[in-house]
Amino acid sequence: MNPTSSLPRLRWSKLSEWMHTFALGLWGALFLYYWRSGKLGLLIHPNYFGLSIGAGFVLLAISSFNIIRMAKQQRQTDAREQHQTLLPPLFMSGILLFAAIVGFLIAPKPFVSDTAIQRGLQDSAIVTRVRPQSFRVNRSSESRSLIDWIRTLDVYPEPDAYAGQKVSVDGFVVYTKNLPQGYLTLTRFVITCCAADVYPVGLPVRFTQPKSEVPADGWFKVQGKMMTETLNGKRQAVIQANVIEPIPEPKNPYAY
Amino acid sequence: MSQFNSGFTLFLSLIVEAIPFLLLGVLVSSVLLLFVDEQRLIALMPKNPFLGALAGSLLGFLFPVCECGNVPVARRLLMQGVSVPVAIGFLLAAPTINPVVVWATWTAFRDQPEIVVLRVVFSLIISTTVACIFSIQQDMRPFLQPALSRWMPDVMVQPSLSDTPALLQTGTFLLGQPGQPIAFDAVAAAAVNRPRPKPNIPWKDRLPLLLENMVQELRELGGILVLGSLLAAIIQVAVPREWVLSIGQGPVTSVVAMLILGGVISICSTVDSFFALSFATTFTSGAILAFLVFGPMFDLKSLGLLLTIFRPRAMIYLVVLIVQLTLILTLFMNLHIS
Repeated sequence: MNPTSSLPRLRWSKLSEWMHTFALGLWGALFLYYWRSGKLGLLIHPNYFGLSIGAGFVLLAISSFNIIRMAKQQRQTDAREQHQTLLPPLFMSGILLFAAIVGFLIAPKPFVSDTAIQRGLQDSAIVTRVRPQSFRVNRSSESRSLIDWIRTLDVYPEPDAYAGQKVSVDGFVVYTKNLPQGYLTLTRFVITCCAADVYPVGLPVRFTQPKSEVPADGWFKVQGKMMTETLNGKRQAVIQANVIEPIPEPKNPYAY
Repeated sequence: MSQFNSGFTLFLSLIVEAIPFLLLGVLVSSVLLLFVDEQRLIALMPKNPFLGALAGSLLGFLFPVCECGNVPVARRLLMQGVSVPVAIGFLLAAPTINPVVVWATWTAFRDQPEIVVLRVVFSLIISTTVACIFSIQQDMRPFLQPALSRWMPDVMVQPSLSDTPALLQTGTFLLGQPGQPIAFDAVAAAAVNRPRPKPNIPWKDRLPLLLENMVQELRELGGILVLGSLLAAIIQVAVPREWVLSIGQGPVTSVVAMLILGGVISICSTVDSFFALSFATTFTSGAILAFLVFGPMFDLKSLGLLLTIFRPRAMIYLVVLIVQLTLILTLFMNLHIS
């Protein structure tokens, strides 16, 4: 091969190598930043914090060692011969680096009501809905969280069984198209693995306050009583709200 | 704006959850490359085609690589004289049936353990079946790329050749041996294929090599992970829900859609379960399985890699078989199980 044509190629491959080494380090730093700033809870289930934090440290370590190695200019050896690539390496390095930078610049935000509707809050007949795995009955009705209520109703759906029980639950407000005026859906997202699989659960709430005091996406504690109503031709448990008070958005918005 | 935000959160969460598993996969495949002696393993493989196919499919437990790593390994195995059913079983099943991938799938589908179990079972059924079908072809060399078949040992054609008298055979022969002339090709092949000992690299030098290989693989796979997560996030927020539901809830359309997606997206099998997870609420379980089973066996990325082993005609047979088997199994699941 003539040396003049291989020289620029070598320079490009050097650039790409520095770029992705830097990108890997940046990803590691991003993981640790999400952990320290409490943003990790927005993205994944706490069970997997350890994995991601560990991965952050490993990525930083790999990146630092590789910088040392490249600085020492060790010769390329035959490990590379096994490697097959689909897209140009420089492009891949660029993507990795760009995504990591964007991750630092734009903070992830919790999902809001649009996503709840998109994820099927109002359609009850989805066949693939993730099934709840546990519920507890030996609790006073007031201490049940929203997700406890959903699980209880899922196991024994007859709404009359709960009529008159006291309710006190937290969640954010979603107005769906299929509920009439004077109703909202108090909603939480449930997470099993990461934000990709969150699904919304919610209970309809009948309220008397003006709608402007209960804006969509606002977080509220709703206190009241269970009753049975027929909405959209379906008998279901509805919360009759006595008190609706605003609460600060929780640091970790998901239910487990 | 809220769509952008939720898309972005989705994108990040896929990456944050998937990267630990990607790291693990890359680490294992790099260690494998530098520290494991394949020769000894090949000697243990059973000769019976069915058992060979099964053993090859389960080899992934010892060689945990995703589909980006298994093609080079399968190539090396073929060159070193492993039988065809073993190689094909390994090629198709190793990306799915290995501890890292099973763990990642379990992490993603904790709520639906049947997905995890059926992913393994279906992959095993498909890889063993396809490997058995290919084993009917005694001499695989017309199916393989000349560059590869040249290096393969002659053992597979020896019996049929010995039926013909030596005088009627064509080729270059070495005379002067007592008894029969020896085909020169066989000698050359044997010489070339004498088990290559692992280059004896000192331990001190292996670690930098390990590091270098990991960084290379991370770039390639990490880049694809980023692109794949981006696509998943866009589909989730930008495509109208009615479309997704109407496709995703049909027992046939959902499977076909996910087969195509699995073939196109080329996401690594160690992390593809997280990708599939984002469809779990809108698509049938059969469709999710079709994605998880078919994707690792064949996708656009592995198309290029597979063509380094097979000639196009053989690859078309292979892919058609896999598609049909996946379709049958997952449709059966949609219509009769779930």
